[in-house]
Amino acid sequence: MRRRAPEIFLGLGFAGIMTTLYLGLNWAPSVSIDAFESPAAQRIFYWHVPSAWAAFIAFGVLFFGSVLWFFKRSPLGWRLHVAGTEAGLACGLMAVWSGCVWGAAEWGTPWDWSDVRLNTFGLLTLLALFLVLGRQSQPDGVETRDTFSTFGLYGFVLVPLTYVATRIWQIRHPGPVIAAGDDGGSLQSSMALVLLIGALSFTVFIIGHMLISMRITHLEQRLEQAQKSLDGGN
Amino acid sequence: MEGTNYLTVAYLGMIAAIAIWTWTVVVRSRSIEARLEAVESSIGIDASQADDVAIQSTVDSQDDATV
Repeated sequence: MRRRAPEIFLGLGFAGIMTTLYLGLNWAPSVSIDAFESPAAQRIFYWHVPSAWAAFIAFGVLFFGSVLWFFKRSPLGWRLHVAGTEAGLACGLMAVWSGCVWGAAEWGTPWDWSDVRLNTFGLLTLLALFLVLGRQSQPDGVETRDTFSTFGLYGFVLVPLTYVATRIWQIRHPGPVIAAGDDGGSLQSSMALVLLIGALSFTVFIIGHMLISMRITHLEQRLEQAQKSLDGGN
Repeated sequence: MEGTNYLTVAYLGMIAAIAIWTWTVVVRSRSIEARLEAVESSIGIDASQADDVAIQSTVDSQDDATV
């Protein structure tokens, strides 16, 4: 059961994501056609917001793993670092891609270089891409792990910056809609429910991915060790 | 209606992408697991010795501390 836990998380998460999309397209109410250039495109948020949320969880795991490796030399920390980078890259790309679809439909441009949240989130995704590609191109070793963990540690500063960006600079992204303070936000309850199901589904899904990624890293290390033994290195 | 079609195509593309990603990762995990079981059972090492970089790093730290 424990051995198949990642697959169970992945299956549940995927089913939840499908449910979210079905509800988002067929059940959630439409927005006012006067308030939006492209009201139908607003439904991309049922994918965009949960995937960005899952990306933040993954970046948090990346930071935690980097700390564990850098200060404790923990093998678990390195596996968390690897899992956090891969999951962060995937969810970051999903959020960026869905944001570009929204931007093209609503703003008339897929990207705006003046929007702070857009660009800090784009940088986070690029950082994850750098870490994934860098790890694949470099031989595994203490120096390599230290270098990538340092990027994981310092890169995390972009997470709180991205979170507060729309509170300080409202350019293209709207201000807080859900956690808006005492008035409870401006979101209809049925829309909030679909977003909540989406956030939970993406969370379960990304936990499944990180668990399986950690397992793959561990298996690769064992395979490498076994190959060294076979070659007479140990 | 055109906007909804456009959105459905965007959604289907993203669903296909995460489905392929998930399938690839699960297949890779199972394939490495099968290879590893075959190799480890033939040479007799266990999982605790897996991360030799971490083990070596810890040994180096202890050596530094004793110097």
